Amino acid sequence: MEALQYWIQGFAVATLPMNLLYAFIGCVLGTLIGVLPGLGPAAGTAILIPVTFSLDPIGGIIMLAAIYYGAMYGGTITSVLVNVPGEAASVITCLDGYQMAKQGRAGPALGIAAIGSFIGGTFATLALMVVSLPLANFALRFGPPEVFSLLVVGLSLVTGLSGRSLLAALVMTLFGLMLSMIGMDPVRGAPRFTFGIPPLYDGIGFIPVVMGLFGIGEILLSMEAPVLEVIKTKLTDLLPKREEWKVSTGAIGRGTIIGFFLGLIPGIGAIIPTFLAYAVEKKVSKHPEKFGTGVIEGVASPETANNAYANGAMVPLLTLGIPGSPTLAVLMGAFIIHGLTPGPFLFKERPDVVWGLIASLYLGNVMLLILNLPLVGLWAKLLEIRYQYLYPGILLFCILGAYSLNQSVFDVGVMVAFGVLGYIFRKLDWPLAPTVLALILGPMMERALRTSLEMSGGDLSILFTRPISAVLLIAAAIVLLTPAVRLLGRRAGKD
Amino acid sequence: MKGRFVISLIFAFMTAIVGSAYAADYPTKPITLMVPYPAGGSSDVGARIVAAIAEKQIGQPIVVVNKAGAGGQVGWTELARQKPDGYYLGGINLPHLLTAVLDPERKATFKAEDIVPIISQALDPTTVSVRPDSPWKTLKDLIDDAKKRPGQIPAGIVGYLQDDEIGYFQLAEAAGIEMRSVYFDGAAPAITALLGKHVDVLFCTVADNFTQWKAGRIRMLTIMDKERTKFYPDLPTTAELGYPTVISASTRGIAGPKGIPDPILKKLYDVFKNAMMTKEHMDRLENAGMPVKIMVGEEFVKYYWDSYKVAKKWVDHVRKK
Amino acid sequence: MKKPWQITCIAFVALAIFWLVVSFEYPYKDKLGPGPGFFPFWLSIITGALSLALFFQITRGKNAMEGSATLIPERQGVLRILAVLVALVGSLALLDPLGFRITLFLFLLFLPLGLGERNWWVILIFAIAGSFGIFHLFYYGLKVPLPMGVFGI
Repeated sequence: MEALQYWIQGFAVATLPMNLLYAFIGCVLGTLIGVLPGLGPAAGTAILIPVTFSLDPIGGIIMLAAIYYGAMYGGTITSVLVNVPGEAASVITCLDGYQMAKQGRAGPALGIAAIGSFIGGTFATLALMVVSLPLANFALRFGPPEVFSLLVVGLSLVTGLSGRSLLAALVMTLFGLMLSMIGMDPVRGAPRFTFGIPPLYDGIGFIPVVMGLFGIGEILLSMEAPVLEVIKTKLTDLLPKREEWKVSTGAIGRGTIIGFFLGLIPGIGAIIPTFLAYAVEKKVSKHPEKFGTGVIEGVASPETANNAYANGAMVPLLTLGIPGSPTLAVLMGAFIIHGLTPGPFLFKERPDVVWGLIASLYLGNVMLLILNLPLVGLWAKLLEIRYQYLYPGILLFCILGAYSLNQSVFDVGVMVAFGVLGYIFRKLDWPLAPTVLALILGPMMERALRTSLEMSGGDLSILFTRPISAVLLIAAAIVLLTPAVRLLGRRAGKD
Repeated sequence: MKGRFVISLIFAFMTAIVGSAYAADYPTKPITLMVPYPAGGSSDVGARIVAAIAEKQIGQPIVVVNKAGAGGQVGWTELARQKPDGYYLGGINLPHLLTAVLDPERKATFKAEDIVPIISQALDPTTVSVRPDSPWKTLKDLIDDAKKRPGQIPAGIVGYLQDDEIGYFQLAEAAGIEMRSVYFDGAAPAITALLGKHVDVLFCTVADNFTQWKAGRIRMLTIMDKERTKFYPDLPTTAELGYPTVISASTRGIAGPKGIPDPILKKLYDVFKNAMMTKEHMDRLENAGMPVKIMVGEEFVKYYWDSYKVAKKWVDHVRKK
Repeated sequence: MKKPWQITCIAFVALAIFWLVVSFEYPYKDKLGPGPGFFPFWLSIITGALSLALFFQITRGKNAMEGSATLIPERQGVLRILAVLVALVGSLALLDPLGFRITLFLFLLFLPLGLGERNWWVILIFAIAGSFGIFHLFYYGLKVPLPMGVFGI
């Protein structure tokens, strides 16, 4: 079969010593970039494009792709260790990952994240090789109405993140939606809720808000403890326990499928697959109430999903030349700078590049695993630095990260302000995840709805007459109404 | 009287000398080139390519910085605020910058005069693109069909009141048609929508659809320029098809805040012009599907203000409705 | 012990009202459907309503959230939190005027001290590495622009 021949050729290219070296350097650099909160894969990749200028095209692309998914893993490290998500994809990992770290189980958390990422990424790469074009074409059928309905489903799953109070979760979601309305509106491009402050024209900035709510809020919370214990990790605790392996298998399997398929839909963004995987995992779990306290599936699931997503998103990029996310747009920019045009044309013209890249993705997954598993112990040890240095150090990187997004002190200010808010909310036990989710989904939903209406000439029924969209909306209604019905039922029963 | 005249002459002479000495020293520290769009987009790519080449000639690093947001408005607001000492430059896109300034709803806090164009890099004309299997084989087919069903054909447009929308307006006015405008934030979602059959025709630029054209997934009906482009040599221009007034393009270039001293400006003209005329620059841009067009100094300033008039016409058309 | 929760709910209601008032500035309808003012309008109303509902739920003691933790930490904790906040807000104010290196040097000097560390030498090394060292790595090494203050530092 032709594909097999290409695959072998691809491996031949990917295993050239120089290319292996580039992949390795990319993984290391990527992980380091990911560890820096706020810098994120997109900015990091963009910074390193000039570095790869001097390399040959294949080597350059391989290094950049390695940086990209290396950075995804790096983001996980900070999420688990200090509750600061480096970018959108790592937010969900904070929920259980950080809790595990607090219990001295940072090792298993990072370990399962590495393994899950590897498996998710590998399967996604295999799928990429086998099914690319027909799948990508199918995914094209997800137009604005379908995207809107999918986002509604995503938002409705917030009921699964409710923690102690469903009503509070709803209020927090609405709060996030309100915040998301700051900035240029998708209808006329006019600024809303900006009160004449230019940096707000583009919205309030997802990363500073998240870094503040999760990271700084957590640090302020930690400062309260009468005796700040250093979190000691025993070496024996570096691997997950037997029962944990078992539940993780299911989580990894589900995460892979969810991540990969969502990766095929351009423009979805990494938070949806991680969030969906987490919510699904919680729904099928035998102990859903334990999610958020440090269960390993709560880490395995989103981590696998986000790597499967990252590799899955390569499908539209390589087959159709459509970058599914800002980071992939950077990668595509890199292709272009090197004179390569992603798309089916590239498959025909330069199969060595495409298959070499695909093979290198696979190898990169292996490399990341080998790199990171042993380092897990090292990362966990970092938490043992005395708090008088550890926390200032973390804050240093938060400030650095928030500033470097837009070279703006305003973003740092937003981060600090939300840090205080995050502290208050945490103390009062209000759930933070719904706000973060709504902040991302809000603009996407409004835009998708608006574009759908433009397509239909103002007719809302377009959302219901298109089959995929209709199905999704019905699903969302079911998810949303079930707890509401239950709530009302209980009330009626009481009276 | 005579004394004063002599003194002012000497003063002018000294200023000229100091001015050129000042310029001779420039630059003494790194220069910032701000890109008002996210990393990886065509503006960013173009800026990075030219920065990498120019910095070798100018002797100081040119640091590319992304200040994305509000369709470029965030970045340009920042540019207008900066000191005109030649150390902070910015990428500009026309007509995007002009419509941002002219559209009262955008509430721009800077004016068109606050930014001085230095040199242009690329001029990217708007095209009318369709799917290969589309029933419209020529522009005339599309126009005839649009006349039969006004306001029914979903037409994708990249950006509000930007080059592609102005192109659509020009065509709609000249041909007397109306289509159903569907807006997209960027080229990627717009092209996805065209390929996915969510819109049937797309107004986007050469750089936007080059990748897809190479792959055979997009076909074009016309290009809104005076001459055929070497990227699509078989593509008839709007002029050839009977619509010579339908011209629209996205022009990318470098600008600075108002008030950069002439000697420094002149040095910038020279350095960037040389950088852009190198084979490396031309090749890299062409590979990316970006048509190079270098207008330096006065020529670019004139273009800037000509585009301003066109932009004003259409902004008023939309906002006064 | 319901006060803090009640206050937060009222704060949300106040925010909702503010949002509602501002949303009147934006057009509600548009020829194609919802205008920019549509969603903010409804969002603020629903938020206000739900926050009120939550307020009542808490007041009637039917909510699981309240009473979960001791609210005011003890003195040491308060001091530490204050130290962090002062350091953060201070660096915010000084970052543009004084530039990255000086501001973070001060930050990394002040905060460990504020948290109780007394080993001057280590603090000094830490502060220099974290400010000047990191700056050098990022600005020259990775070409990430970082603020240079009025003195060009």
